[in-house]
Amino acid sequence: MDQSALINSSALTTTSTETRTAEEQAAPPVTPADRVLTVCLAGVPNAGKTALMNGLTGGGFHTANYPGVTVTISRGKSRAELGAEISFVDLPGVHSTVAPTIEEELSCSVIEGRHDSIHPDALIIVVDATQLERHLKFAAFVARQGKPVVVALTMMDLLAKSGQTINSKKLSEALGVAVVPVDGRTGWGVGELMTALRERLTNPFITAAVLAEIPDEPVEAYRRLRAILDASGAVKKSRPLMLAENSLTARIDKVVLHRYAGLPIFFIILGGLFASIFWLAQPFMDFIEWLFKEAGALTLAVLPEGILARFIAEGIIGGVGAVAVFFPQILILFFLMTLLEDSGYLSRGAALVDRPLSALGLHGRSFVPMLSGFACAIPAVLAARTIPSKRERLLTIWIIPLMSCSARLPVYALLLAALLPGAVGKAGLALACIYLASLLTGSLTAGIIGKLFIRKKSDSMLAMEMPLYRRPLIKPTLKITWSRASAYLKRAGAPIIIISSILWMLSNFGLGAQQPKREDGTSAAFITASDLDHSFAAQLGQSLEPVLRPMAVDWRVGVGLISAFAAREVFVSTMAIVFHVADENNEQAQQAGLLDTMREATFANSSQRVFTPSSIIGLMVFFFFSLQCLSTVSVVRAETNSWKMAGLQLLFYTGLGYLLSVAVVQGLRVIGVA
Amino acid sequence: MKLLDAPINTCCRIERLDGPETECRRLLDLGLTPGEEMAVVQAVPFGDPLVVEVRGMRLALRRREAAWIRVL
Ligand SMILES: Nc1nc2c(ncn2[C@@H]2O[C@H](COP(=O)(O)OP(=O)(O)O)[C@@H](O)[C@H]2O)c(=O)[nH]1
Ligand SMILES: [Mg+2]
Repeated sequence: MDQSALINSSALTTTSTETRTAEEQAAPPVTPADRVLTVCLAGVPNAGKTALMNGLTGGGFHTANYPGVTVTISRGKSRAELGAEISFVDLPGVHSTVAPTIEEELSCSVIEGRHDSIHPDALIIVVDATQLERHLKFAAFVARQGKPVVVALTMMDLLAKSGQTINSKKLSEALGVAVVPVDGRTGWGVGELMTALRERLTNPFITAAVLAEIPDEPVEAYRRLRAILDASGAVKKSRPLMLAENSLTARIDKVVLHRYAGLPIFFIILGGLFASIFWLAQPFMDFIEWLFKEAGALTLAVLPEGILARFIAEGIIGGVGAVAVFFPQILILFFLMTLLEDSGYLSRGAALVDRPLSALGLHGRSFVPMLSGFACAIPAVLAARTIPSKRERLLTIWIIPLMSCSARLPVYALLLAALLPGAVGKAGLALACIYLASLLTGSLTAGIIGKLFIRKKSDSMLAMEMPLYRRPLIKPTLKITWSRASAYLKRAGAPIIIISSILWMLSNFGLGAQQPKREDGTSAAFITASDLDHSFAAQLGQSLEPVLRPMAVDWRVGVGLISAFAAREVFVSTMAIVFHVADENNEQAQQAGLLDTMREATFANSSQRVFTPSSIIGLMVFFFFSLQCLSTVSVVRAETNSWKMAGLQLLFYTGLGYLLSVAVVQGLRVIGVA
Repeated sequence: MKLLDAPINTCCRIERLDGPETECRRLLDLGLTPGEEMAVVQAVPFGDPLVVEVRGMRLALRRREAAWIRVL
């Protein structure tokens, strides 16, 4: 029988009693059908909950082969072909209900019915088939709460590889709850899972009796579980230890966790990842640059000559294009990070650096938030929730703004290209050095701040699961890459367009009668300035000159630094606009790319260049340290529940960025670097 | 015998956990229950944490945590 039809028809008042079947009368549905049901996905970390969530909803939620990626609650609607709409809620994984970390407590509150807004009608317990006992122990905790449950059995493909089998029918009979094998990544078994779920929702007489009777006390719980599993005959060839098997995981770990080779391999993997961002992106960048240049030229050709055409060509297309050129790098960064996360290496990385990080007051688990800070600081600050002690968590949050986030990538890419013209190989290596330097600087900052300001209370635990290595599937990887990239576009897109438009106007209009009139004629008050130095932007920017002089840049760069507070990438579009305008009367410069324009740029009334090796390095130092991201400030406020830390971070890092930038520029000049 | 004194890559049986209560409870929840087989697989650089196997799963345990585990 079609279960979705059952839900829809049986509870509606319009259904007359005669048409009801006997079994429906015997078993009235527990929930009315006119309400969208809420079903939560619960389980141990790394069970495959988020992958299943994606399979159920068609979403691109972030999965990774690392325990502790999902730290917030996400919602999604069931895919249309799965029948009547259900609202699915993906919960963070729970290792243990004792002394829970923040995200574990969040899940427990939902499962135990203590959460303010999320009240599940039923739960899908996600169980890793390769680790049945541990996952079923948590399943028992969920079943004890008395809500309708079904079990989704993941990782069946891995089970087959190691020569084990699980008979889900027998397992289901033994536990007294529906058990459905699934693979959320491919959608295999999702339909059957939905059928089992709807059956469970419409039949209140199914109870997870056996499962729910397993006690909370771990020794007894595990003893009983093993007894149940042994008696059921559902599991063939259980594998307590894989030592003897010489499994893939064991062989890879021998190498990547090797006493001497382990750390060099760690740095080579990370360095290779960051360097290849630059190397792989080059052909795509050239294409996008060409595309936007053509679009700009086309606009000027098609639209009637005048302010509007120039605004669109230079302000919008020019500004957006300057940043869009670097989008391939962002995509490659996200793609490579997603691959790395899905491989299972992250836990190894965390284990490798646990010792040095904990000596600095951080935690092995700080490594993953730091690494995800390379994509964006906001999820990284949230990811720190998995860190068990408050001190280590706060320190991790403190240093996350130092991690070289993807918003800085276009800035570094532009400045590196200006610093090392034509040397893509070297620029890639330099970029890798910047990333690794931000990891090291972050760790050291944590060491210093921790020693000075945060008292050490007690040792925390590591006890971290190291999942089996898995070969990532290409389709889910691409989907997650795209969903991260489109979040990036959403975040950065609006500031880039808005600020570019405003800046173009500020740089093209100015006050004052001494302005030479343009042919297209304008009102007396707002005269277009063919001379940038008299524009509004200049008037604003020039007031910054005293602060900028020690950094050896002019007011145009200063305008870029200020506008970067809207979003760091805006620096790049601002450079494109202000330096383009400056050379407006120079036909040749009009055709040249941003890099050439920047290379030729000189200070007003002098022949001294603006972008010299020392000033470029100084700018990179500024971007390396300064916290030009108000979203980070607000998420830190939310996660620490106070403005103190968020405000201090903003002042500390931005101040530090300025001072160190000045120090580096002046230092370089002293030793003779122009 | 302490787990820390057990030779690498040899299967031993957990006797009991001897450490702070909440922490040991989290280890028990992870499946490190008395009577269960486990083994130290290798030590990562710096000799800490240790990689152990129990119930078909690999865990990274700090030496401090491994020191609570008594094995037969
Ligand atoms: N081989 C295999 N991998 C899976 C399966 N389900 C999920 N995964 C992968 O297992 C890892 C953990 O999944 P995730 O959904 O993030 O786990 P969560 O922590 O429970 O949300 C990811 O790398 C997934 O791609 C499955 O059925 N088979
Ligand atoms: Mg998840």
